[in-house]
Amino acid sequence: MEPREATDPGNLSRSFPHALAQPENLLTMEELKELPIFAELAETLLKKIQPHVLVAEYRPDDVILREGEYSDAAYYVARGVVEILLTQLPAPSGPETARREPVVASVAHVAEHLLGKTARERAIGRAIAEGGTIILSDMPSEFRRDRQILLEKGELFGEISALSRYPVSATVRARTDVVSVLIRTPALRILQRSAPKFKEFVDRRYRERALAVHLRHVGLFAACDEKFMRNLRERVELVSFEPGQLIVEEGSPAGAFFLVRGGYVKVAAKSGAADLALTYLRKGDYFGEAAILLEEPWPFSFTAIDSVELIKLTRADFQELLTASPQLREDLWKVTVERLKQRGSAIRHPIESEYLQMAMETGLIHGESVLMIDLNTCTRCDDCIRACADTHGGIPRFIREGFKFNNWLIPTSCYQCTDPVCMIGCPTGAITRPIGTTEVSIDPLTCIGCGNCSRRCPWGNIINVPYSHPVLKKEIQLATKCDLSLGREQPACVQMCPHGSAIRVSFRDVGLLPRLLPTVD
Amino acid sequence: MKRLVPKKPIWLAASAAVGLVGLGIALWLRSRNTWNPGRAAGVVFGAAAALLVLTSLLYPLRRPLLGFPFGTAQRWTQFHIYGGCLSFLFVLIHEGFRLPSGTVGWLLLILSAWATLSGLLGVWLQKWIPALMAGNLRVEAIFERIPELIAKLRAEANALVEGSSEVLDRFYRDDIEPALAGVQVSWDYLVDVSGGRERRLAPFGRMAAFLTPEEKPRLEDLKVLFAEKLELDAQYSLQRALRLWILVHVPPSMLLFGLMLYHITVNLYYR
Repeated sequence: MEPREATDPGNLSRSFPHALAQPENLLTMEELKELPIFAELAETLLKKIQPHVLVAEYRPDDVILREGEYSDAAYYVARGVVEILLTQLPAPSGPETARREPVVASVAHVAEHLLGKTARERAIGRAIAEGGTIILSDMPSEFRRDRQILLEKGELFGEISALSRYPVSATVRARTDVVSVLIRTPALRILQRSAPKFKEFVDRRYRERALAVHLRHVGLFAACDEKFMRNLRERVELVSFEPGQLIVEEGSPAGAFFLVRGGYVKVAAKSGAADLALTYLRKGDYFGEAAILLEEPWPFSFTAIDSVELIKLTRADFQELLTASPQLREDLWKVTVERLKQRGSAIRHPIESEYLQMAMETGLIHGESVLMIDLNTCTRCDDCIRACADTHGGIPRFIREGFKFNNWLIPTSCYQCTDPVCMIGCPTGAITRPIGTTEVSIDPLTCIGCGNCSRRCPWGNIINVPYSHPVLKKEIQLATKCDLSLGREQPACVQMCPHGSAIRVSFRDVGLLPRLLPTVD
Repeated sequence: MKRLVPKKPIWLAASAAVGLVGLGIALWLRSRNTWNPGRAAGVVFGAAAALLVLTSLLYPLRRPLLGFPFGTAQRWTQFHIYGGCLSFLFVLIHEGFRLPSGTVGWLLLILSAWATLSGLLGVWLQKWIPALMAGNLRVEAIFERIPELIAKLRAEANALVEGSSEVLDRFYRDDIEPALAGVQVSWDYLVDVSGGRERRLAPFGRMAAFLTPEEKPRLEDLKVLFAEKLELDAQYSLQRALRLWILVHVPPSMLLFGLMLYHITVNLYYR
């Protein structure tokens, strides 16, 4: 495969073909067949993945992936050498960390000590093994402080980040001229479904590199010892579901315990003829414990809202684990009781589930900080818009128009998604989310106005505005979005609403929704 | 009923407490001496009223001041409302609950009462109209954009009736098009937020009887556009009422402040 010539002046398609989605960067069937990684795949399967596989070329020192960003592709090194770098090095695991967690101490725990953030908030898919080696969940090699990591022809990286939507755990930079094949998430999913060997390869890598880190971030397993975790790691099965696919039906025999490693799962219960949405589960949540503990059929049904990746543990294995860990059993009983109470309450007050249903249908479940305006009290004074404009040099970052649900208006304003797809493939790294924070912001000096992020935002919440770029010395369409009034105590729109009608809601706090968003009386 | 419940009861309680204490002190002092607005306690209450009026007038500065000193605009609003009411009470105490003797005194009293009552009317309107819109209108639009949205609806309707039968075309030209010409503002929406929607949509039902089955969907689409236009009219009229109320409240309040300054200057000068 020969490197292609750059066709655009900014060399964007050379480095980031997925950002611009230029069809000339797609690989032909012949080129696909030549790649060792796809050598054994059937032609029909290759045809299916072909629209989602691209070639990218990088020059020495070009950044391929940035630590902390999100990626929608696995990278196969077809030619050249790439280097893995950690810009945010965790502190070495000292005796304190070692005492707390003898073999594997997550970076998130170290960060917790350093920055006062909880482990879950700061999870970025890394773990520190004994001796200070850092396990990078989406890289095929371990990072040692005294050693460089180089990946050569034939290596694959980034597939776990792309499938599980975790931020990239390290920066990857071209060391030489590099030709890389980008296998985008849809192709990865197809391969996971239809190519057993590929699935086995990815699953093995996930099991070895990421599973322990992910399990550690599940509150339930945070305190479990290493022996228990090793046991668990060996027994689990990794399963995937398509959007809308039923995972478990209410009333069916209880057969397994599941952990969500990617995507969203809708939990519903039958109420009369209708399916009542009770809640939704996301990365790090789990289900199935109630049916197994109660030794009854599934009390809920579970449906994949989008592409869902689950970690499955059979009933027998799960029960064995429970026998080995009485504390875990006790914790799960508490969770079960709570969930059954929630189910009873939802069935008694079906109206409360309407917000959940709406959130799932509209995509608000992705929102970490969604601006909502109570039209019942909003006097349409537009002070929120003016305050936003004041904070952002005269250009407001949202439009007081959007969709309406009951008495709530959800304006065109960034939801600060849990998995911000807008951050995928920014050619200059202008769009960032500092690890452990909510706000995704765009640096106007680094943005080149390519429009990648605004095209990627599924909700149309990134707006391009004309901007005279001081560095590029030309007019560009600057991507602008809500940044929660970065640097202010609270978002200007909320702070400056004279009637308290503008609020910010995290759809992570599902249980709070009915209280936060009362209906019109 | 909910509209009468204060949003932040703590502000009501604190203001009532301050008002009652002030009233108690004034009544106690008045029972001991002859009350004089220009002396001792009279001046203190007058100064307190002036200070509250002045601070209330700073309300538009809440944004440039980034909410300082109250932190949020909502707290600024609460202060503006309750501070304004207290200032009127302090004006009455300052006067010793007697009618003023001079023209300026009368003007000050009338303007204080006007500013307070129009402010309270505004509070009520701001609770009532948004709830009216949220509960009864499906369409939500930015005030300034409503004329543009109506123009779009008109263009859509024109395109829809193009090439239609003579019956539908005539019905559209005579009965519908004039109503789509622009915003139709009416105070009636304050009384009936639907603006007689059912009555105004009734001709569509009657017209259906005269159309072929192929044209009926076109009439239905036209009806949807027309219903949306009626809602936009309601939105415009009600949002306009919310904006116009400011004119009833702000200019007299500015006048009050000006007269108050005059009153203070004159009294200090001739004292």
